[in-house]
Amino acid sequence: MRIALAIGTFLILVIHGIVFYNQFGHPWERNQNTYFDQAKVLAKSEAEKAALAGRKPRIEQIVVSNFGETRFDRCTTCHIASDDPRFASHAEPVKTHPYSTALGDTQKNGKWERRHKFSEFGCTVCHDGQGRGLDVEYSHGKDEYWPDPLLGFTTQDHWRKEHAPKLKGKEYMQANCAQCHTEIAFAATPLVTRGRELFFANNCYGCHRIEGLSDGNIGPDLSDVGRKWKLDYLWGRIADPKFILATSIMPKFNLKDDEIKALVVFLKSRKGRNFAETEIQRFKVKLTGGAELVQATIKPVKINPAEMVKQGEKLVLDRACTACHKLGNRDGGIAPDLSFEGQLRDGEWILAHFKNPKSTMSDSIMPAFRFTDDEFKAMTAYLLTLKGQATPAAGEAIYKNLCLRCHGEKGDGQGPIAEHLDPYPRDLTKAGFMNSKSEARFVNSVRNGVNGTSMPAWGKLVTEEQAKTVLAYIQTNFTKDARRELKVRPIPEKNPVAFSTESVTRGEALFVNRCAGCHGRKGDGKGPNSLDILPKPRNLRNAFFVNSVDDKRLFESIQYGVQGTAMPPWIDYGLTNNDVGDLVNFIRSINPKPKGGQNAGAIQ
Amino acid sequence: MSLSTPPKASFLASLKAFPSTIWKSIFRNPLPSNDLERSATSFTNFFLHIHPVKVHKNSLRPLYTFGLGLISFFLFVILIVTGILLMFYYVPATSQAYDRMLDLRGSVAFGTLLRNMHRWGAHGMVAIVFLHLCRVFLTGSYKKPREFNWVVGVILFLLTLFMSFTGYLLPWDQLAFWAITVGTAIAGYAPVVGKDIQFLLMGGTSVGQEALLRFYVLHVAVLPAVLTLMIAIHFWRIRKDGGLSRPEDADPVISLEAMPTVKASVLEPKKTYGLQGLVRGPLTKVGEIPDNTVFSWPNLFLAELFTFVVTLSAILVVSLLFNAPLEEPVNALHPPNPAKAPWYFLGLQEMVSYSAFWGGIGVPTIFVLLLLGAPYLDRGPGGVGKWFSRDRLLANTIFITFVVANIIFVIIGTFFRGANWAFVTPW
Repeated sequence: MRIALAIGTFLILVIHGIVFYNQFGHPWERNQNTYFDQAKVLAKSEAEKAALAGRKPRIEQIVVSNFGETRFDRCTTCHIASDDPRFASHAEPVKTHPYSTALGDTQKNGKWERRHKFSEFGCTVCHDGQGRGLDVEYSHGKDEYWPDPLLGFTTQDHWRKEHAPKLKGKEYMQANCAQCHTEIAFAATPLVTRGRELFFANNCYGCHRIEGLSDGNIGPDLSDVGRKWKLDYLWGRIADPKFILATSIMPKFNLKDDEIKALVVFLKSRKGRNFAETEIQRFKVKLTGGAELVQATIKPVKINPAEMVKQGEKLVLDRACTACHKLGNRDGGIAPDLSFEGQLRDGEWILAHFKNPKSTMSDSIMPAFRFTDDEFKAMTAYLLTLKGQATPAAGEAIYKNLCLRCHGEKGDGQGPIAEHLDPYPRDLTKAGFMNSKSEARFVNSVRNGVNGTSMPAWGKLVTEEQAKTVLAYIQTNFTKDARRELKVRPIPEKNPVAFSTESVTRGEALFVNRCAGCHGRKGDGKGPNSLDILPKPRNLRNAFFVNSVDDKRLFESIQYGVQGTAMPPWIDYGLTNNDVGDLVNFIRSINPKPKGGQNAGAIQ
Repeated sequence: MSLSTPPKASFLASLKAFPSTIWKSIFRNPLPSNDLERSATSFTNFFLHIHPVKVHKNSLRPLYTFGLGLISFFLFVILIVTGILLMFYYVPATSQAYDRMLDLRGSVAFGTLLRNMHRWGAHGMVAIVFLHLCRVFLTGSYKKPREFNWVVGVILFLLTLFMSFTGYLLPWDQLAFWAITVGTAIAGYAPVVGKDIQFLLMGGTSVGQEALLRFYVLHVAVLPAVLTLMIAIHFWRIRKDGGLSRPEDADPVISLEAMPTVKASVLEPKKTYGLQGLVRGPLTKVGEIPDNTVFSWPNLFLAELFTFVVTLSAILVVSLLFNAPLEEPVNALHPPNPAKAPWYFLGLQEMVSYSAFWGGIGVPTIFVLLLLGAPYLDRGPGGVGKWFSRDRLLANTIFITFVVANIIFVIIGTFFRGANWAFVTPW
């Protein structure tokens, strides 16, 4: 017992010894002593030497309150020679901070004068890092939890090995210059300017919002992305979006390393609020949407009518359309194949779709991009020249060429791009559905498309004969159930209830009562039950679709249900033809009728 | 022992004796050399007089108690000392708390060591107090007459948890913020009053400045005071209940029948009862009965000193080797995935992932109620003072089942849960 006590007590003593040694033998003290010694050698006068001899190591700090929250920068405790020009050729940390005309430093009578005085700016405003630390590990931000490691100098251990070397270089500090130097094309921050241009050239703005620049809402808001994320993450997300977040739907852009670097620097400079802004400037930008900055960044192509198609092609290929769409051997894997667009759509439709994708397809996720009218026309002209290849004769070949991208290899409606389409492509394996509709209707869907959905009219590519062949292929390979004789059902040809306000009111009451559970109170197909249902309930506010089907089809779907889906036969639940008439009138009433022209009925 | 000084001492002699005069005025007894002095030493020293003069040999068996109660107490002392030192540097404001942590880590002398000792000491205390609770249960020590001291002990355990939990928020980093967000959310699952408790704890609907201030005051003032009081009661009752529990056969059986009966009336007129008349429990035994007790000095005190030295060195070694975590500054918009509660609540969080009410409130409440009620439900006298006694098979089995289940849940929650609380393997 006594021996154990002695050992324990000795251990406590030893630990205290170690702790005291660590506390009083701190590296920063050694650095300062080194500086004092060398400065003494360089000293010119005895007084200077005496002053140096009297100095003892102590913690130096600069308190900076001009830039956001008050900062305590103790960096000069180790970097004690940073403002002493005699130490220019010494080794870090006892080394002069370089002078540079690019930083605004000036030389007078052979003496440098700093533009950014350390006493006013401190260190972390430009360099990041952790000003309060006195350990290299912590003050340089090497520990994985510190959000701002020295910009361009320090990489953290958990950063990806293949990216870490690319994230070094003082050019990354331009992101911090831009905290104050917000001029539109500030000469000293070329990467920020280039990054902003790339942000527009690659159509990033279509999905992402940045306050005062863009208002995309598909992807996350990037207004303060530079404050939230470190370089490694920004680079990783741009270079390979799915690497960090497997569920990301962001396309992989075809970017070179120097382009990614410019984008990373630009994004790192987005910190929500920079030091140069005043409240009133912020408010002005909010009102104008940063028009001035955007105008300076977007460089519209001047369209020459004679070379429209060529210029359009260049735009489509250069401006990242293929980050989502497929065209030739480029495939973004998110949006439909454009290879035969000229056969599927007319110019008017394409142009309207460009300007506002939702004006031709209610639930399209394609953002509205900021091209000029002329640019849109040129791109439309180019797309119209795309005729694809001749359609093969065999059912299987047709399916693989034209249908598979959406309907999937197994015909289950889960093609590579299916998750990005709304409504989802039809599941062709559901025999209940496939065998409850006439072949004529399917042929019609194939050749004339389904309005308001991503199913285009294949009429110019697929003859009626070919349509029947591919339908037969689908029937034998996916549906795997022979067609049956369709039941003849008593369905009124026309709505027996005249369209009137009273009928719509009755229909609405009925709708809220019976239909809203799946189709939602607004009829947008997003009722509480819709989450568990596949195929999803129809969006009854998709005017293109609703206006393209006649009363007879609506009556059939409501009264006798849609087999293979969750839609039940409402005749079994006591709905009369008059009730259904009211419902149909209600559904018609929430979808504005087009006033001439295919696209005029746009819902904005 | 009278200190009779010569009537006329020379000035020089007085001066020479001055240090020993001071010493003797502080420590009234010299180092004891006989039993009387040993008793006096224990009895007359403020810090020692809380101990009995003589202590049962069974209480000194290291493998019986493992010194867990003492270790808990010493950890508490270490925590109070380091905590008070930390209070000199800490500001409970959301704008400053994290910066103060950075200062402690970077510039304050011994700041890192202090923070490490406080952090690891707190984790250690939660673990040791729980082990102490297990020891007391598994040796059946909560039985008569120690029922209520057991209840006090369970309350102390809960207070320790709450103490550690409130301290968790103070660094104001991501770890703290989200652990407390999760922890208070678990409290919110309680029926009827859950949301109110949550609101009361946080001083709002989310963790913010108000929550920080509340947790701070609870952590440095309210809970330590309550805890100190409860510890005092806990210790006092140990004395009054006749020391630590021990098996019945630790003392030879005294046949009370053999004692001559004396009519009270015979005694009454002649005798005024002293304090001893109020003392319950085994009668004072003199003479022929074998004595199983030893003097506290030095046996008990050496053991206590040894426990203290081991505890302190363990904490120091751990604090030297491992730094207390300090994650990113709080970002309320960017939760880590997964956000985890402190490890001792991860069992709860794991159960919450199956059922919010049963995991967070139902099962823990049942467990705590069972613990509190244990001495009143399990009234059989057998099995006291013996580890895993056969007499207490049922009680021990139930207890061990609960404990092992909780430990398994804590382990799953700590090591096997990744993003979105999905099951992951740590290797």
